[in-house]
Amino acid sequence: MSTKKMVSLKDKVQQVKGNLVSDMGGEKVMLSIENGKYYNLGEIGGDIWELISEPIEIDQIVSKLMDHYEVTREECETEVTSFLAQLKKENLIQLKGDF
Amino acid sequence: MKKHWQKPTLEVLEITMTMA
Repeated sequence: MSTKKMVSLKDKVQQVKGNLVSDMGGEKVMLSIENGKYYNLGEIGGDIWELISEPIEIDQIVSKLMDHYEVTREECETEVTSFLAQLKKENLIQLKGDF
Repeated sequence: MKKHWQKPTLEVLEITMTMA
């Protein structure tokens, strides 16, 4: 069975436009127009969502988050790529080559 | 001062629509 990640640190990612996003008590919630689902991104997920409003490499996202949060690079890289893979699975982001 | 890190997660919310 393959354990290959869907995204890697050198990938560029960007939001898929057209979703309705709102702040709710410091957390970001979003309605996907495409699939009609509601999502809660949480606080840090909301920060990541703002960072990917324009195309950006994932390792740049990690560096920016490390400026604001108490976290090791290894932990941040692992958890951010996992989170972005979830977003990709739901078609909420696009990777370089898709745009 | 840096903020406390928590693993980012994507939560899918189940919204029930009531037909009236």
